[in-house]
Amino acid sequence: MADKRTMTLNLTDAEMNVLEQLSERKEISKTAVVRQALRMYQMLDARLAQGEKLFFERDLTKEKAELMVI
Amino acid sequence: MSERSVVYLKDRQSGQLVEATLLDGLDRAEVEGAEGQWIPFLQEQLQKLKARGISKEKWPEHSHWDWRQKYEATEGLLAYRMFGIECQSRMQGMMLVTTAGKTCRIVSQRNKPLVYVHFLAAAPWNLPSIVSEPRFALVGSVMIAAAIHLSLAEEFSGRIGLHSLPQADDWYSRGCGMTDLGPDPAVQNLRYFEMTPEQAAEFLK
Repeated sequence: MADKRTMTLNLTDAEMNVLEQLSERKEISKTAVVRQALRMYQMLDARLAQGEKLFFERDLTKEKAELMVI
Repeated sequence: MSERSVVYLKDRQSGQLVEATLLDGLDRAEVEGAEGQWIPFLQEQLQKLKARGISKEKWPEHSHWDWRQKYEATEGLLAYRMFGIECQSRMQGMMLVTTAGKTCRIVSQRNKPLVYVHFLAAAPWNLPSIVSEPRFALVGSVMIAAAIHLSLAEEFSGRIGLHSLPQADDWYSRGCGMTDLGPDPAVQNLRYFEMTPEQAAEFLK
């Protein structure tokens, strides 16, 4: 297991609510949600930096919508 | 530097379990070293199959996988982990998984996170389909167990998922006890398999 470091996270009520909702819905801790978010963000950032675009596709209609990532 | 732990493979000749090392987080040298051993051996065996008139349908379906390219495509990305099993100074199998962005399809687990196994392969000298006396068994089982342990460590309760090549469908279904969710048109119609927390616990027994 890799060494871990601790940090304090300052979130607004709205942000904390979302974090708690995701934690409950996914049945993982808030730390695990943040870890997931970081992995996803890094992966998206790397793909976007290579000139790729991110799309969501509706399963039934195959309609695509581009997602803007800052 | 990869993290290392002790696992066991089965020597097919003696029938005995032998100590091996599970490497979590392969580095470039380890992947290149493995490919340097795998590719020449595989090419030699495929030439023999060709000379014996064995049709390509019976060749290993993953014989074209380029592990160096997979390493380079995922290097430095936290979402991906590459595992290896080393025994008697040779890489006996490799696996690439992701721990982010994939969720369950089984109704009872729907939308909960899982560890997704992108690629899993045993070294060519361990494949009964191309060598008459394969060296080690249990490479796939040790890798699936590693994916389950990773899922537990990530708080995913042992849930894993993967798309299987046709030659491995039966092993994932019967050998691992995973649920077969059928062909997936989004991934070359490969069958998609998932393991629930209960199935994972059963597998680890």
